[in-house]
Amino acid sequence: MAAVLLIESAMKFAIAVFSAAHAPSSRRALLFAQAALAGGHEIVRLFFYQDGVYNASDAVVTPQDETDLPKQWRTFITEQNLDGVVCIAAALRRGVLNTEEAGRYQRDAVAVSAPWELSGLGQLHDAVQDADRLICFGGA
Amino acid sequence: MAKSLLIISRQSPWSGPGAREALDIVLAGGAFDLPIGLLFLDDGVLQLAAGQNARALQQKDLSANLQALPMFGVEELFYCVDSASARGLGDRSLDEAQPLAAAQITALIDRYDQVITL
Amino acid sequence: MSTLHVLSHSPFGDERLTSCLRLLGTADALLLCGDAAYALQPGTAPFNALENRQVKLFVLAEDAQARALQVPDWAEAIDYAAFVELSIHHDKVNTWL
Repeated sequence: MAAVLLIESAMKFAIAVFSAAHAPSSRRALLFAQAALAGGHEIVRLFFYQDGVYNASDAVVTPQDETDLPKQWRTFITEQNLDGVVCIAAALRRGVLNTEEAGRYQRDAVAVSAPWELSGLGQLHDAVQDADRLICFGGA
Repeated sequence: MAKSLLIISRQSPWSGPGAREALDIVLAGGAFDLPIGLLFLDDGVLQLAAGQNARALQQKDLSANLQALPMFGVEELFYCVDSASARGLGDRSLDEAQPLAAAQITALIDRYDQVITL
Repeated sequence: MSTLHVLSHSPFGDERLTSCLRLLGTADALLLCGDAAYALQPGTAPFNALENRQVKLFVLAEDAQARALQVPDWAEAIDYAAFVELSIHHDKVNTWL
């Protein structure tokens, strides 16, 4: 009976992150996402826009005694098999490129790799259409 | 039926890419024929000031993009009258944008399925 | 219809809280997280504005705790599980980025 209730009340979340990995709001986004899954809900997509693209950067080096958020995102997305999409236009502007884009623009620095995916803003709209709730994290 | 999305744009046009990146969400929604609305609030109303000169800062002209919104199928355009009067906003571009008082904005947010304020 | 408004900026020297309170509907609620929790600093203008407005007010427990803020009895401290439930209980969530 409890399982049935859980399924009936399960919600689909789209989560959008607008702040850099070092911003408190990005950590809050991860904890919300983890709590949503723990509550039996579904995350249709994690979308990273504006400075949120830095969460996907392999180039972030966090001091050993501090929370390594890009690493935690990577682990979370991989283990939960989630869709982690980084806005391509926002990422290009901020130098967060994958191999394909680095090749296209003849840059040496590659900062994004799987499980992250670079794609367009259509993926945000797509997620909003699929989800019951859109939750945004950013700013401070 | 497609879910509707309201974008509330609060950044001034020259404070960085914020205003443009808010507009990009709107334009992408319009391109997919989604029901999308745009409300200018707080410093965001400054995007509507007439006679701005992007070239003075070697920037792209955001107002030109705003003028194109109705052509992209985005016709639900609004601005907060309180924000506009607090900032002494006089002549405006984008005639299509409708002035809304606070209570009307509360009702506007209620009317949309989801909202992003940035 | 109801909206959960989420604030994370300090209320001092920032107009998000003021704008949010102006637009807040009767069925809406407000969640303070991050530096927005400083609105619970007693005797300040934001604190008085919230108390007088009698808004349905929540604060992320970790943020109140980290900042040594007492949660008044007219606000409720919540964890992330409750944050998720709160976002479901309302029709939409409006984060003031």
